[in-house]
Amino acid sequence: MLNTLVRRFAQMAFVMFGISVLVFLIFFATPGVDPAARLAGRNASPEVLAAVRASFGLDQPLPIQYLMMMKKMFITQDLTSFVNRGQMIVPELVQAAPVTISLVVGSALLWVGLSIPIGMLAAAFKDRFLDRVLMGLVIVGISPPVFWLGEITNLITQSRYHDTWLFSWVPPLGYIPFSEDPWGWFKCLVLPCANVAVLYIGIYARLLRSNIIEANQQDFIRTARAKGLSEWQILFRHSLRTSLITFATLFGLDFGFLVGGGVLLTEVVFGLPGIGKLTYESLRVLDLPTIMGTVLWGAFFVVASNAIIDSLYAFIDPRARHAS
Amino acid sequence: MPPDVSMATVPPLLEVTDLRVAFHTERGILQAVDGVSFRVEAEEIVGVVGESGSGKSVCLMAVLGLISGPYTHIEGSVRLMGRELVGLPNRELRKIRGRDMAVIFQDPMTAMTPVYTVGQQIVEQIRVHQPLSRKAAKARAIDLLDAVGIGAPAKAADRYPHELSGGMRQRAMIAMALSCNPRLLLADEPTTALDVTVQAQILDLILRLRSEFKSAVILITHDMGVIAEAADQVMVMYAGRVVERGSKNQLFANPLHPYTWGLLASIPPLDGERVHRLPSIGGLPPSLLDLPAGCAFSPRCRDVSARCQGERPVLDRHGDHARACFLPLESVAAQRRAGLAASLQPAEAFSE
Amino acid sequence: MTRPLLEAIEVSKSYSRGNHVLARFNETVKAVDQVSFTIQEGESLGLVGESGCGKSTLGRCLTRLHAVTAGQILFDGVDLAPLSLRALRPYRPHIQMVFQDPYASLNPRRRIGDLLAEPLRVHHRGSKAEIAERVGDLLDRVGLLPDHVHRFPHEFSGGQRQRIGIARALALNPRLVIADEPVSALDVSVQAQIVNLLLDLREQLGLTYVFIAHDLSVVRQVTERVAVMYLGRIVEMGRTDTVFRAPAHPYTKALISAVPRPDPTGASRAQRIILHGDVPSPSNPPSGCHFHPRCPVAQDRCRHDAPTLRPVGPGRQAACHFAA
Repeated sequence: MLNTLVRRFAQMAFVMFGISVLVFLIFFATPGVDPAARLAGRNASPEVLAAVRASFGLDQPLPIQYLMMMKKMFITQDLTSFVNRGQMIVPELVQAAPVTISLVVGSALLWVGLSIPIGMLAAAFKDRFLDRVLMGLVIVGISPPVFWLGEITNLITQSRYHDTWLFSWVPPLGYIPFSEDPWGWFKCLVLPCANVAVLYIGIYARLLRSNIIEANQQDFIRTARAKGLSEWQILFRHSLRTSLITFATLFGLDFGFLVGGGVLLTEVVFGLPGIGKLTYESLRVLDLPTIMGTVLWGAFFVVASNAIIDSLYAFIDPRARHAS
Repeated sequence: MPPDVSMATVPPLLEVTDLRVAFHTERGILQAVDGVSFRVEAEEIVGVVGESGSGKSVCLMAVLGLISGPYTHIEGSVRLMGRELVGLPNRELRKIRGRDMAVIFQDPMTAMTPVYTVGQQIVEQIRVHQPLSRKAAKARAIDLLDAVGIGAPAKAADRYPHELSGGMRQRAMIAMALSCNPRLLLADEPTTALDVTVQAQILDLILRLRSEFKSAVILITHDMGVIAEAADQVMVMYAGRVVERGSKNQLFANPLHPYTWGLLASIPPLDGERVHRLPSIGGLPPSLLDLPAGCAFSPRCRDVSARCQGERPVLDRHGDHARACFLPLESVAAQRRAGLAASLQPAEAFSE
Repeated sequence: MTRPLLEAIEVSKSYSRGNHVLARFNETVKAVDQVSFTIQEGESLGLVGESGCGKSTLGRCLTRLHAVTAGQILFDGVDLAPLSLRALRPYRPHIQMVFQDPYASLNPRRRIGDLLAEPLRVHHRGSKAEIAERVGDLLDRVGLLPDHVHRFPHEFSGGQRQRIGIARALALNPRLVIADEPVSALDVSVQAQIVNLLLDLREQLGLTYVFIAHDLSVVRQVTERVAVMYLGRIVEMGRTDTVFRAPAHPYTKALISAVPRPDPTGASRAQRIILHGDVPSPSNPPSGCHFHPRCPVAQDRCRHDAPTLRPVGPGRQAACHFAA
């Protein structure tokens, strides 16, 4: 157990180190990007540029710069933005995190709650009418790009039909913290969550359907029938249970990815000040410290969710327990 | 064996009459089982031998009522303790499956759900059919595991299938099959996936259980050795039909169908003289989608005549020994010797 | 005595299982444990045993499909064990393998003609026309028809595919053929055909076989000498006839007696020695003589004192303290 934890931790540190070095190098290798020129403003004189370089440490060798940045990020936690002087990165991330986490948890509840019954029904009625209808709907959910779906949602609920009884409850774009107004918090997240979930319901329902159908070909399903179980008992206790192994694995990965900033487009479209939006803004102005912060956040969640799934795996799949 | 007026007072445990199973495939109708009839009496072990595509497993699945779907077609009659099963709704069949008849499959690793312990799987079956508490069912499961020779049965009940060895898994599978005291046990190649020394243990167990649990057994196998050890009655299947049927002794001492004696002769002996060449059956088992006219075995048969190629022989009785072949009985013995001699000649040209 | 075609001297193969950070915590499986034997040209040696006995691993070591952990494999006097893959190349054509499932080893998208011509082309055996002629000759040898060259593997039945597998093994005129369970996937009536074919080919081409199988009756039919393996070690070796008639090792006795015979009188059943338990896991074999926990004649000594293979008669060896 300890052994596994140590290995996990080392792995996580290694991945995050690798990613941070990569981001750092890409930034300095990107042609036309001279952070000093950007900081000093237009038409700055060479003297000013040199002064800016010195004050931001940009005249140091790259490894030193990298170490300085990491020190400011993790130890003193006073890393500031290159663009908005004085804007501290770490508090900014801490502020954005609840927004993203609320959005992702909300969508995850929706997508897990809906994709399981849809996938099961489709599998149970394989190749029949209900299956075709459900799978048709699901394709409709998967097809539209996230930003398009978001914009359309906004168009309908914010302007065109906002004044009808159906959408009059929709608050203006933006985020209301739970601590200020729980009901407002709920209302402002419903549509963004649904937007994210639509895609994932589609993916997960299809995945579950095909996994259940695959499980139904297995010998142990034949055994279950021979034991005298009913089709629904077989579906719930045997096919679904074994299919959930893949489902849970993929869920963990997607969840980590989304918390890590994968909901960027949705946040931007709905004006939610989460990690994704932060990433988006910092990318637009090529603000290295902020990019570094958000990328490391994302890497952390992807790696961490991987680690969590791996350890949970032993609980969902007994076959994995003795493999270590 | 076949229907007989004098025995009609007590219905046999299982009576299968003219069972036909067809699958509609893209390439045509596949007649997997083509008019199979047999009986199983209480506490009897009936061996079914045949190669892949002989229809033996499909036959067993049809008896269990586990063949269904829009592309299948089942005809004939399957009576268990006098009750007709063909056409029975699944709701009714479910009550019979696992309670009155249970099944053991070839590979216990894949035949058990990997995410539940052996005990949970046995308890599940008990509780489907009997109003027992979880605790009582668990106690019964442990008793059963003990009865099939699993040491430390309480511990074994909490193990997952992958944690047991192959032999233990098959024992657990048998314990599960026996959990509701079925009158009929269907065993589909129960020893094929096991090591030889373990296979001997399991065969021994099946024979012992027949007397302890009073179950009749249908034993499907491709191994004539297993049949010789375990079966009372034997049925040889080829291309969806029964080609020979009789008691074990009759069948081994005096096989009446060329396929049966070919099968027997092609097993290399473990004792005695080694033959230089094995008497083998030429050619390949036929495709069920493209069966030859007449006798399905005729393209591989050494004693084929013009009649065999135009007409399908039906199973006819010679005492309580039956076979589906046109070869005159008196020439069977002579032909068999000739067949053996012929096999000592160089291999025939090989074609499909 | 002439120089043997193949001589294995204390060949061992172990591999580690597990993924502990510290390699010493991984379990080491000794799949093959100091196995020695010789094969004369034209002879055929059977390797028999149950699952986990190491017979297939040994077969793959002999062809150097697996690297060897320790020991020597002398092929015609040259030690193949330490050779690099490159240095092995000139020896490859002399040692060929026939596998249990030929379908898995035949590329499904290539025609039989191509599949058979491939080794000839790789090893530059003649012009295009010569290769085509050789392919026709090979098909004829294994009992297939010339026009089969245009077909794909899936168009053949199991027995025919095994004929193709044999033809491919023969393409380069090997001196040694290692057949790993060549008939166990086939129907009984087809098994006999393939056994006969292997016997005929040996007679016609003067081949030497290592014949690996769990089916004792087939091994008896094909081989002159047989080695019985149990958990990585050879427990008995000798002339096939003698070993089968009067096995010296208690495991061999039990193994042979356990085979169900097509004899309805039940005479063979009466003399059966039924072993208790399953074959133990090769990752954690019992101490001393590996067989002692299941052995009907085991004594105290067997628990800690591993018997070595010693002569017990003319041309016969057994690894048992009590074998006469």
